Amino acid sequence: MALQLLFNAFSLGAAYALVALGFVLVINATSAVNFCQGDMVMLGGFTSVALAQGLHLPGILLMPIVLIIMAVLGIVFSAVAYFPLQRRPPETVFISTIALGIILQNLATILFGPEPKAAPSLIGTSEMAFGPVMVSRQALAILVTAALLILALYALFTRTQFGRRLRATAQDREMAAAIGIPVTAMIAGTFALATALAGAAGLLLSNTFFVTPTEGTNYIIKAYIATTVGGWGSIPGAVAGAGLIALFEVVYPAMPVIFQGLGEGKLSSALFSQTTSTIVLDIVILIILFVRPQGLFGEAVRVRA
Amino acid sequence: MISRASRDVTIFLGACGILCAIYVLATGSPYVLRELSIAGIYALLAIGYHFIFGQAGALALSQGTFMGVGAYASGILSVRYGVPFDVGLPISIGLPVLLAAIIAVPVLRLQSHYFALATLIISQIVLLIAVQWVSFTGGANGIGGVPAIVLLDRTVPPGWATFLTVWGFVVLAGLLAARLTRGLIGSAFAVMRVNSTAAATLGIDTAWLRFGAFLLSAFFAGLAGALYVHTIRVISPEILGFSVMVTCLTIAMLGGRYRIAGAILGAVLVIELPEWFRFLREYYLVGYGVALLVVVIAAPDGFVGLLEHVAVRLRPRMSLTPPAAAALPAGRISADRAPPETPLLQLTDIEKHFGGVRALDHVSLAIRPGEILGMIGPNGSGKTTLINIVTGLYQPEGGRVVFDGSDITRQRPHQIARQGIARTFQTVALVDEMTALDNVAVARGSHRLGFWQALASPLSDPALRTARGEAMALLTLIGAETIAMMPCGTLAYGWRRRVEIARALALEPRLLLLDEPAAGLNETEQADLARRLRQVAAAGCTLLVIEHNMLFLAPLADRFICLDYGEVIAEGTPAEVQSDRKVVEAYLGRGAAAALP
Repeated sequence: MALQLLFNAFSLGAAYALVALGFVLVINATSAVNFCQGDMVMLGGFTSVALAQGLHLPGILLMPIVLIIMAVLGIVFSAVAYFPLQRRPPETVFISTIALGIILQNLATILFGPEPKAAPSLIGTSEMAFGPVMVSRQALAILVTAALLILALYALFTRTQFGRRLRATAQDREMAAAIGIPVTAMIAGTFALATALAGAAGLLLSNTFFVTPTEGTNYIIKAYIATTVGGWGSIPGAVAGAGLIALFEVVYPAMPVIFQGLGEGKLSSALFSQTTSTIVLDIVILIILFVRPQGLFGEAVRVRA
Repeated sequence: MISRASRDVTIFLGACGILCAIYVLATGSPYVLRELSIAGIYALLAIGYHFIFGQAGALALSQGTFMGVGAYASGILSVRYGVPFDVGLPISIGLPVLLAAIIAVPVLRLQSHYFALATLIISQIVLLIAVQWVSFTGGANGIGGVPAIVLLDRTVPPGWATFLTVWGFVVLAGLLAARLTRGLIGSAFAVMRVNSTAAATLGIDTAWLRFGAFLLSAFFAGLAGALYVHTIRVISPEILGFSVMVTCLTIAMLGGRYRIAGAILGAVLVIELPEWFRFLREYYLVGYGVALLVVVIAAPDGFVGLLEHVAVRLRPRMSLTPPAAAALPAGRISADRAPPETPLLQLTDIEKHFGGVRALDHVSLAIRPGEILGMIGPNGSGKTTLINIVTGLYQPEGGRVVFDGSDITRQRPHQIARQGIARTFQTVALVDEMTALDNVAVARGSHRLGFWQALASPLSDPALRTARGEAMALLTLIGAETIAMMPCGTLAYGWRRRVEIARALALEPRLLLLDEPAAGLNETEQADLARRLRQVAAAGCTLLVIEHNMLFLAPLADRFICLDYGEVIAEGTPAEVQSDRKVVEAYLGRGAAAALP
């Protein structure tokens, strides 16, 4: 039972981690909050739905196509909502990305309608038994795919010249420009990566949880919380934060099942509903911010006086 | 600070507004009147938002929630308890203000991106509660049958009566908001927005200003919510959703976030926009997003900002005449207060670490009243850190700071500033849009700033007039009277330095800390600055000057102190310190020190 929950939490957390990673990459490169990162997840979900209708391929084969389409869109979005504002205070980008989010949400409503749609599963949804643990193929595939993407990202950052340049740009833009790194291209590349990761998360999540035009807000709040918990600007922190959120979301509503003593009936089901779970998580985050205004593990991005 | 351009634009827009109102009342259909009533309600919401987002510059994402709480309060009061709109108003305004006060405690001190997140999360919690608590709030379906607005036992019918009521409130709110933000308090907000640290060192209580702005936002939002629920006649959780917040943000950006006229103009534009873009049909919400994006990129100060630009072109600033210099009040420097042998400032065993780096290591030093103390030391030796500790920007891990006999170690920056310690910054921190005069004047009034004072003072604020006159005297003292009416953004570097020193002097400091005042000045300017600083010192102000430029500092200072790696390595006359073996070593290395006689 506990193993089962843990597995589900890992699977969900891996998908959230992709969203949070994209969010934190943009923060590092631009010190701006990309508020439409959640809408990118939605866009990835709908892209998968549309591709599946036309191509009739399983999700795993759609993944590369989704990644490429989303990366291109990421560059377009940076040209529209970031580059015209790069010399302005970071909060301006916050607002411009809210605007971009509104545009995308309403375009999605027009194109796909407000009803929830399901993206194809990666390799099917049947259940498999690993000893006492029943595992759905989809959850396993999500975990493996997301883990592979995170590893690929890690390799990109540590093993390639492109990755080193991206990191140099994130650390100190002027310095990077001074030693001849094409800073603008690197930032556009960061947006491409961030959007592609969100798109991948959209494909992964939209089979189990469906996709609707307005669900981006939920994902952006999760990415935002993951980054806050993990330390503003910290890449491993964002992954850890996403994992913690997923763990909470999976374990909290299951509490009455895990601990039989918590009782049953109306009060218990109200106390451990999905909604209460969100409220409790929200309050925990507020307490964290109150006790440690610099985030749980401190800030990785240092503000210069 | 209401500039002339801003006043011109406000009068122009006000005239247009009255003409439009007459036209609408004469010809408007019930539908148009209802739409415009809704626009008026959003104008109230945006007037409130202008306090926290415009004046205080904080991206709060809770404004829609404050409006929603006001709407729920007023709606539930009238449906469930039969309390009419006007009687319930104290509660429907008070509840969002109370909510703001509660969340302000943990949230307001957060940095901008955490503040946005925290206010977003709180909004999510309130929405979820409203949907979950079905027995009280009606849950997702809400509650129907909300009665119309009732004023003094008379029901206000829909149509022109509601239109006039709502816009009456808008006019009242606009006048109230204008009173609250004019004069010195407006300038104080501008300084805080540009550089909150600098504002605190001018004696401005930034936490209090931000708190007041947040509560005022909630106040107007509550009023807007109460009017809204009695106009659309139904309670629905939609009003707590993120889209109301986005509408409010769009209004602020489109109209101009810093101006009340911007809030009103923005509301009319945004609420009417879907009407004009009707030909777009289902795409009109996309157009909404596009409009917001275009405004953010092309006109960051909104339509009112654009109009003010035009107004400045039409009536250039050149014609502005500076006020006459007013006599400065007799200083608070009194020789008998501190006998010359007791130090004015005493640092004992100050310790400060940044992670593993020891920035200051048991530093003790004393500044005697009336002296000019020069502080030297290589880059990174801890000089600026020391000033930051004295002015309260950093808290030391150990040690004590005693100023004129009282311990100020744990005091907040604005409290320290008000006791007579002023400073300048290595990188000049002035408000570019404000004139040099107003940049100085804001520091003159910082200790008597307040929302109550702004409300209580007569129409032409005498405090502002006095402050400007005195600021003129200070600019004259530092030799910058000719540029008094120029916006600081247009000034050359040397002038900006001088304006900043004049601003620090405006606090009538007993101790003035100058962080590299001669950097970037040419030799003539340096000589002039040294002469004027001597005058300041002769008037009884004690000076601590950080400089690398020995040709400037050595003749100016009475005494030198040299810091290296966070420790005091030498102290004495300028000549003694400059030839000290350890000092030469610190600057030039061991080899150079060995060459000394």
